[in-house]
Amino acid sequence: MIFVNKKILALIPLLLINVFSQNSKQQQYEYAYNLYVQEKFFDAITELKRLQFFDKENTFSFQTNLLIGKCYKKGAKFDDAVKYFTLAEINAKNDSEYFESQILNARTNILRRANKQSERILNKLLDDSRFIFKTREIKYWAGWNFMFSNQWQKAYQIFSEAGLDTTLANLCKSVDDKLYSEKFAKYSSYLIPGFGQFYTGEYISGVLSLGWNILFGYLTINSFVEERAFDGIIIGNLLWLRFYSGNIQNAEKFVIQKNLQLSNNALEYLQKNFSGEKP
Amino acid sequence: MIINNKYLLILFFILQLIIYPQTDWVRWEKSDPTYQLKNSFIEREYDLSIESVSDIIVKPIINAYWFFVSDVDGANCPFQPSCSGFLVQSIRETNPVQGILMFFDRFTRDTNIFGRQDHYPKFDSRHYYDPISLYTLSETKIKFIPANRIVNKE
Amino acid sequence: MNIFNFKKIASLKRMLFFFMGIFLQIVSISSTSLCQQINFHSPQNIKSFADFLFCDKDYLRAIYEYEKYLSFIDDDTIQFKIAISYSSINDQIDAVEKFKTIKITSPLYEESKIELLKSLYLLNVNSQYFTYADEIIESKSRYSINAEKIKNTSRLLLNHELPDKQIFLFPFDENEKKTLSNFYDRKTNPSYKSGIIAGILSTIIPGAGKIYTKDYSDGITAFLLTGLFTYLAYTNFEHNHSERAWIFTAAGVGFYTGNIYGSIASAQIFNAKINFEFDEGVKLFLQEKNYFTPVYDFCK
Repeated sequence: MIFVNKKILALIPLLLINVFSQNSKQQQYEYAYNLYVQEKFFDAITELKRLQFFDKENTFSFQTNLLIGKCYKKGAKFDDAVKYFTLAEINAKNDSEYFESQILNARTNILRRANKQSERILNKLLDDSRFIFKTREIKYWAGWNFMFSNQWQKAYQIFSEAGLDTTLANLCKSVDDKLYSEKFAKYSSYLIPGFGQFYTGEYISGVLSLGWNILFGYLTINSFVEERAFDGIIIGNLLWLRFYSGNIQNAEKFVIQKNLQLSNNALEYLQKNFSGEKP
Repeated sequence: MIINNKYLLILFFILQLIIYPQTDWVRWEKSDPTYQLKNSFIEREYDLSIESVSDIIVKPIINAYWFFVSDVDGANCPFQPSCSGFLVQSIRETNPVQGILMFFDRFTRDTNIFGRQDHYPKFDSRHYYDPISLYTLSETKIKFIPANRIVNKE
Repeated sequence: MNIFNFKKIASLKRMLFFFMGIFLQIVSISSTSLCQQINFHSPQNIKSFADFLFCDKDYLRAIYEYEKYLSFIDDDTIQFKIAISYSSINDQIDAVEKFKTIKITSPLYEESKIELLKSLYLLNVNSQYFTYADEIIESKSRYSINAEKIKNTSRLLLNHELPDKQIFLFPFDENEKKTLSNFYDRKTNPSYKSGIIAGILSTIIPGAGKIYTKDYSDGITAFLLTGLFTYLAYTNFEHNHSERAWIFTAAGVGFYTGNIYGSIASAQIFNAKINFEFDEGVKLFLQEKNYFTPVYDFCK
């Protein structure tokens, strides 16, 4: 009886060693996590690095790297955040840890507008058979990625698919409906100077463009008609052409500016008033 | 091609590792991300202030030029400040006679399309930086900026 | 009864031994496991973590940790490493303060002096900096020659008169002498362009002044523009289009005088460029020579 007991007793120290040292690391992690909750991100990172430094067995590698990444993300230091999410991904011990680090990586990439990178990560997750039950979440972030890369049409499609998020779907639809067509503005201005400006609502600029083009067009043609070819070439080249190309440049510029304004308004709404989950 | 990309990725990662500590060389706090994109066009700033006698004559002409001509004839000036803005600022900085001389000199340099790359620092992707302070003939005002350097307004 | 009692006592004794065994086990277990527990904030651990941060170039955090360690144990080497950290993140004001705290008894005292000189140089090359350099030179320490080298090189950045070339080059070794001699010549005899000559040249031939200041394409453009407007004015006068002729004349005169003005400005900019490139060269030289400070192997 005693003999058996002794055998068990011999095992106890080994178990306890592990438990105790684990405990102090756990405490350190909780300390750092507390700092994170209190929004003291710089100090939280210091404590997490301390834990990493003494955690020779790498038992906390995933948690620490992930939390460091989150700290940097909160401080809008996205490049650093991405680096630590990647480290967390390397140290992930199971599927759910891998998924968590990858999704955070994708979300950070959305914020720093590395849209290609984000798209690549999300597509990889979509193709992964392990995460079939997470499809909705992955697609939700794919939609955000489209919004941040100015592809409102695609974002609308993804949000409206199977009722993923009706609020965002409606927002994307309304932005997409309002967007001006760059090509239409440009080519209509080729035909009728000032038309692209009218299309974007810049009437004064449109009238001025039309006026200058009519005036110098008339003067150029008139010079040729009156057989003053030299004057015609000079006026045509230096004045008419200048205002003609300026008219096309302006049409394009206005479309870009107006579209930027439209998407910025939507993004501002998302940042300030949208209550759902954000990247 | 694929291998190249991989190497590039690795190189990118290493570069990030080298650059990374600098983030933490200054204590930082929580900061909200900005969702909005920046407008990269230079907005026209009409200048209606009258500060000297010459402004009464020059400013209306320049403002009218900006409104009726410059804004509708395309982005032709490769410099920042633009030629007309240069004229206004140089007259304000010196006197009308010297300002006009400076403007003619600027116009000459504007007409010359060669060698800008090696002559002027860049203001942004579309404009070279060519400030008034270099041309007032006062040596103390000259702050030389080498070509190819990008000048931040801030 | 007695026997029973005896038996009872014997079994009690055995029980006692058994529990004592367990107790001893637990004590030994907990002591060993306590050893395994990491005290993250013991002075020794703070120091080794700080060393790690220092070598990882995470200097600001290293400074915080070293300061924590110093509140337990005073250590000059740590003070020195804090100062180096400040210097590395370009906080030279704090670096100077820290270097000044290194005591004369410290083995790193002389190093701290030369590092302090480097920090002062990076802050501002002024008279305080030069008196400090003289102090090191006169102390006849290991780094006196280096201090003299830094001092002489940084004199090139000011507009004061330089000493005789032989005296100036004296502290440098053969390799450095070549570079420094070149710097010395460029400083005492800069290849400036004269604004007056540029102006006169442009008065004689439009654009010539700009060619003299090496703005070749601007010079040619000025020549062509002035020529074009002179020609236009001339032909219009010839054909009696006097209104146009006067406009062209005004433009021609504008380009002509504007170019004279521009040539003078161009010479000034040329000289500013010479000064700028010279200063950059000197600064780069000092940086490449690592400001003549020793290289430390704290991270080996």
